[in-house]
Amino acid sequence: MPAAAEGHLGQTIVFWVCTAVVLGGALLTITRRNTVVAAMSLVATFFGLAAMFTLLSAQFLAAIQVLVYAGAIMTLFVFVVMVLNRDEREPWALRGIVGKALGIGALGYLTLLGGTFLLGASALLTKQGAYHTEAPKPGWGGVADVGNALFTTYLFPFEAISLLLLVAVIGAVVVARTVKHAPPASQEPPTPPAHGEH
Amino acid sequence: METDFPLYLIPLLPLAGAAINLLVGKRISRGGVAAIACTSVAMAAVLGWKAAWLLFQSEPSAILTARFFDGDWIHATESHGIGSLHIQAGLLLDRLSAVMVLVITTVGFLIHLYSTAYMEEDKNFNRYFGYLNLFTGAMLILVLGDSLPVTFVGWEGVGLCSYLLIGFWFDKEANAYAGRKAFIVNRVGDFGFLLGMFLIFSATSTLSYRDLASQQSVVALHHVWFAKASIATVAGLLLFVGATGKSAQLPLYVWLPDAMAGPTPVSALIHAATMVTAGVYMIARLHFLFEIDPFVLAVIASVGALTALFAATIGITQKPIKKILAYSTVSQLGFMFIGVGTKAYDAGVFHLVTHAFFKAGLFLGAGSIMHALSGEEDVTKMGGLRAKMPITRWTFLVYCLAIAGIFPFAGFFSKDAILAGAWSFDVAEMPEWPHWLGHAIYFVGLSAAFMTAFYMFRAYFLVFHGEFRGDHHTWDHAHESPPAMTLPLVVLAIGSAALGFLGMPEAFHKDWNLFEQWLVPANFAPMVGEEHASTEWALMAVATVVAGAGIFLAYRLYYRGISPTAVAIKDALPRLYKVVFNKYWVDEIYDSSVVRPLRSLAFVLWKGVDALFIDLILVRGSAFVVDLVGRGVRYLQSGDVQRYMAAVLLGTAAIIAVSANWVACTGAPFDVEQHGADVTVRAHGMPSGPAARPLEFSFDFGDGTPPVKQSTPTVRHHYDVHGRRRLTVNVLDPRWDIRSSDSRTVVIP
Amino acid sequence: MIPVDHYLLVAGLLFAIGVVGVLLRRNALIVLMSIELMLNAANLTLLAFGRARGDSNFQALAFLVVAVAAAEAAVGLAIVVGIFRNRHTTNLDELTLMKH
Repeated sequence: MPAAAEGHLGQTIVFWVCTAVVLGGALLTITRRNTVVAAMSLVATFFGLAAMFTLLSAQFLAAIQVLVYAGAIMTLFVFVVMVLNRDEREPWALRGIVGKALGIGALGYLTLLGGTFLLGASALLTKQGAYHTEAPKPGWGGVADVGNALFTTYLFPFEAISLLLLVAVIGAVVVARTVKHAPPASQEPPTPPAHGEH
Repeated sequence: METDFPLYLIPLLPLAGAAINLLVGKRISRGGVAAIACTSVAMAAVLGWKAAWLLFQSEPSAILTARFFDGDWIHATESHGIGSLHIQAGLLLDRLSAVMVLVITTVGFLIHLYSTAYMEEDKNFNRYFGYLNLFTGAMLILVLGDSLPVTFVGWEGVGLCSYLLIGFWFDKEANAYAGRKAFIVNRVGDFGFLLGMFLIFSATSTLSYRDLASQQSVVALHHVWFAKASIATVAGLLLFVGATGKSAQLPLYVWLPDAMAGPTPVSALIHAATMVTAGVYMIARLHFLFEIDPFVLAVIASVGALTALFAATIGITQKPIKKILAYSTVSQLGFMFIGVGTKAYDAGVFHLVTHAFFKAGLFLGAGSIMHALSGEEDVTKMGGLRAKMPITRWTFLVYCLAIAGIFPFAGFFSKDAILAGAWSFDVAEMPEWPHWLGHAIYFVGLSAAFMTAFYMFRAYFLVFHGEFRGDHHTWDHAHESPPAMTLPLVVLAIGSAALGFLGMPEAFHKDWNLFEQWLVPANFAPMVGEEHASTEWALMAVATVVAGAGIFLAYRLYYRGISPTAVAIKDALPRLYKVVFNKYWVDEIYDSSVVRPLRSLAFVLWKGVDALFIDLILVRGSAFVVDLVGRGVRYLQSGDVQRYMAAVLLGTAAIIAVSANWVACTGAPFDVEQHGADVTVRAHGMPSGPAARPLEFSFDFGDGTPPVKQSTPTVRHHYDVHGRRRLTVNVLDPRWDIRSSDSRTVVIP
Repeated sequence: MIPVDHYLLVAGLLFAIGVVGVLLRRNALIVLMSIELMLNAANLTLLAFGRARGDSNFQALAFLVVAVAAAEAAVGLAIVVGIFRNRHTTNLDELTLMKH
């Protein structure tokens, strides 16, 4: 399919650009001292991911990604960042660095192992013809398609998720609200807590 | 003779009395406690007399037997080449144990009766009578036991009661110490007893007296053990060690003088009349064993003679009246061992009986005197009491005459029988011993008899004659004891005066020695080497003269108080007096040679092993290690979520690293080796080593033959068809139910 | 068509970056963001496999994951705010109450 071959190249370019945006955004997110910058990098990551989702013919999920993550969740983050408004002097939590280094080493091992396994598995699956390499039929991954799955096969998880969201909303309100009988925060100047052991 | 006579009741009755008095005695009135104690012993005495009467009516070899319960008391199966062990809790009453039972119950009853008055004031009245009853029961088990273990139960039981009663007034340190001393010294002897018992069992596979006495056992005991000693020799000597402990012979006599710390009736019952004679009884009971090697008998007789003399010399110098009597007891026990050691068993046992009466009487008399003098013990602070205490005085005189061996009192006959036995002791079978051994023992015994007469009358004159040497308050309060105390004194005095006629020597009339006729035919072989009547008369005359001389000497020196002559003699031999007065420093020697080293060792064990090793290193050390580990591990609990998560990652990685080997490989790669129509399929890529596990392989050759299923990865196949065939390998890991497969095409020519 | 392994590798790296962020950052907000990264990595994996298998059920699952992530973010941020109210810090080094 020559069209597919052309599409292939275009897709490849888009894919690598998206990859760069996603991983770069992610790295910026975890390295920036400024929380707002980190949040914005995260938004970039989400957009990159959304683009990737479209590459995977998941248009609906791409839309959701932008709406929910970049829209709702990040708004929440930025809002909280503004409420707290505290930049870090020392962004890295170096306490227990030996243990954490071990943990990261373990992570590296897991990534390596998982990567090897995934590659092997997908190679096998490809070989066995388990993968669809051709373009899906139109409408696949659209609202109708996903909605069909959600309201038939996954009706119960869908309803459960709605309940979960309700609980989360109430819980968030309860956890974050100001305790009535506590003295007002203004009368108690926020003293920087002592560093070190309690 | 088989009857259903309830023999077991004889020890059980006092034991029941002990149980009542010890458990609920506090809730019973004093009268009730005394009634229970005396009644139980009296009933045992009545049963004892009844049983003895049954024996008396039967032939000499008649016995009564009984068992506490049916079946084995101790049972052990055969092992290590030693036969199986069946011991029954059996009792045996023959003429020998009948004598002992009568002495124990009769004298025991009198002493119980005496105690009701003597201990009247004591606040632990019920405990005292509980122990006393317990002792009586244990002593009866000792003499009635039909095997060594049963006897040993009584043996230990009386030792326990002795300990409890010596330390009866344990709130005084010295009394508690005396109790401990008695217990520990007895342990040494008991150890010998036990070893002897084990040896006997190893040779004969039985411990019952009747089985041991059989010819077969005697032969087994004669069996050479090592060097030239037979088991009988070694076991006999070990048992004799037990006897020296219980019967206070050299070198284990040291506990008995200290045992006078207990109440005086206890001294009379346990440490004069009954318990201390257990060793004599045991040797008489096992005489067949000791006779196997006469060497042992000679040892017994020699130790007895030396003890008799040794203790008598100490008795001369002692001042507390109970100490005099204690050393006298040791000395008299020595006489009994002379008797049993020279095969004059009947004489030894006869002296045991007469001694039980006059020595119990002496102790009770001493108790009566001390009762009157508010606990005064020192004879040099007494005097002239004949006016105040006539009954005590006259009975005491009878006992003194009996123990001194004056005709016709009991001691004369029994001591004479022993000395006669020693004189005629035949050492012909014993080349190790000089032929004059018997005569030497006789003379040693005679010297001891002389001293006995002297120190007993020294005590008698110092107590009852002359002027009172104490303060006048004590004198004013002195009084005769109540009837409950004087009645036993009188009964015992009658016994001491008259019992001797039961064992009159052959010299008087050949049929008059009733005691010998009662005991010897049934229990002992007839004595060898009987002396002529003339020799016996001569020996009796010598003994009487010697005793008279002792009494006369005491009369001259002490009739009017301590005469200047006595003081002069003492001053003339200051060193000798000092040595004897201090009891040859035996206690001090034991203290420095045995007690102190042991205490040092115990101290080292305490400080080094217990305190340092066990307490500090093991107990506190392990706690310290746990504490240390806890302190170290505490740092892992940082409260830092991120570190926790790092740990989770580490754990995940570890689990996956381990289980990665366990997951079935994806795919089932295989090699095919082909030779014409023959193929060899070898599946590979399977983890080996620790991860190797039983995989199930299924080979489908694609030629219509059923798949080959097996657990090894290699298979051979021969194709009967030609052309391209699809060869498939399926691998199943049954644990995870993971299936994988691979296939390829082979071309069959 | 980009091979599915590529997506998987991107997802793996994204997840690893998220983990590193969770492990090493002191700021609770950044840690929450890192968690979002990890959730997105999971989502990407789901979608890649779904595309490869031509199965739109995977997208339904991814949708549910997004919903859960939203709930998680809401509650997580509420907790951060609550902690900040009480302890005047969002510094995880100082939030070691579990130790005591």
